[in-house]
Amino acid sequence: MRSNTHFLPDSVNTVYQARRAPSAAGTYLAGIWNARHFWIHLALSDLRSRWRRSFFGVLWSIIQPLGMTLLLSLVFGRIFKSNITEYAPYILSGMVVWDFVLATSVGGSLAFVQGDAYIKQCRHPLAIYTLRTTLTNLIVLSLASLSLVAWVLVVMPQNFGWPWLAALLIIPIVGMIAWPLATVLAYVGVRFRDVPHALGLVFQALWFVSPIYFEPKVFRGGNLHALVDYNPIYHLLQIVRAPLLHGRWPTAENYAYCLGSIVVFSVLACLVGSRAEKRVIFYL
Amino acid sequence: MKRNRILLKDVNLYYSSVAFKERSLKSLLGSFMKRDPGKAVIHDVHALKNVNLEVLPGERVGLLGHNGAGKSTFLKMLAGLYPISGGLRIVEGTVRSLFDLSLGFEPDATGRENILYRGLLLGLSPRFMRKIEEEIVAFADIGEFIDYPIKTYSAGMQVRLAFAISTAVGGDVLLLDEVIGAGDANFMGKAKRRMLELVERSEILVLASHDFPTVQSICQRGVVFHHGEIVFDGDVKEAVSTYKKINGVSA
Repeated sequence: MRSNTHFLPDSVNTVYQARRAPSAAGTYLAGIWNARHFWIHLALSDLRSRWRRSFFGVLWSIIQPLGMTLLLSLVFGRIFKSNITEYAPYILSGMVVWDFVLATSVGGSLAFVQGDAYIKQCRHPLAIYTLRTTLTNLIVLSLASLSLVAWVLVVMPQNFGWPWLAALLIIPIVGMIAWPLATVLAYVGVRFRDVPHALGLVFQALWFVSPIYFEPKVFRGGNLHALVDYNPIYHLLQIVRAPLLHGRWPTAENYAYCLGSIVVFSVLACLVGSRAEKRVIFYL
Repeated sequence: MKRNRILLKDVNLYYSSVAFKERSLKSLLGSFMKRDPGKAVIHDVHALKNVNLEVLPGERVGLLGHNGAGKSTFLKMLAGLYPISGGLRIVEGTVRSLFDLSLGFEPDATGRENILYRGLLLGLSPRFMRKIEEEIVAFADIGEFIDYPIKTYSAGMQVRLAFAISTAVGGDVLLLDEVIGAGDANFMGKAKRRMLELVERSEILVLASHDFPTVQSICQRGVVFHHGEIVFDGDVKEAVSTYKKINGVSA
């Protein structure tokens, strides 16, 4: 074997590496930004393929939660003796946000597996594949929210006012929570393909102990205040519910819980990602 | 000015065995419970062993080696797809790699749409893709089918389109894995010319191929891989004869 000629002196190499290291996070984010055309395209093409050849197409994301809400509010309204016109938008608001979280988490846990053809060919930051799932579902969430807004405008027009601007924040907030969460799940999911099944169970359990379809008064009546007061899901939903259903601004506590969730999941995603990102290709 | 170059120093690459062993939680838990002595033990695959290589601007390097010698792994490692387990890897310049052309088509979208999508995958902007779209359409030369969904294409047409898109944009560092030759005889000649143009525009070329005449006509430098190690690095003619000697192929 011919030993290789002219290597650079070691000092040059260390300089090269030292220049790289501190800006790792910045480089990563820049990579996500540079690939924006690609992941936006992926998200839009997911939507196109979801509605291709269906008669109602994009309308399904509005029809489906509406139909489900009608059904549920009829049943639950009787059980919990709630006023249907006011209970229905409560369920609807819980449903559209919860569906988003569920779809993004389950879809996100398979994001790397789904994008394996791309991952094996091109070196983009892996977080763009969970961003794709998040973006797709954010668009569905926005559409589904239209039905909620319309419903509330008809049934409770007195709630309309400035606080509604705050409700718009749900989109960036829930996106910032779901993206890192989906990213963490994607890393676990690529290693253990059981994750989507396990998530089904976990989310059902979470749904059961959270004021998503059930009203807080049900939990409080059972002396389960903690399930409302310390539940990030409750606070997240309040971002929409306070303005739309009560005509009030969300409280600082609501925002604090959301911010906390964002920070926790982001830190977790960075920790997992920095260790596992390079090895993902071996698991595909 | 930035200099394009490749510098590898004591590069090792392992395929970690966990990736193809326990794939589910069940088997992971199961493996704690009992140890089956009869089962074959799967080790990490040591795919690249102490690879040292420096490629300077203007060099055309041909990779030779038996199947599984590490040529493709080496190229994917250069492209940054595979992480290295040890050593130093410096690749400077825009890397353009052509590995598996047929990946990433959307069957329900038209040929034209797929041109855009593939470009976006390569990190190009929509504006730039619109600019070079006509040129790609002309090269692929599949007539009116360009406005039909990809799923209506024959295999050959897909290859032509994929080739036309992938070779439309060059890079400073070009990595090729057995892609010369696509489509029918008519297209083959065209494809080869285009490939050579692309090669000429690039500063550095690393090409893996079993087609010795092509390698010898394009490359001056040959690198022979044998079971993950570089066993020869030098003139391409000597490289070919070394390869033949090692693998017992009659010259």
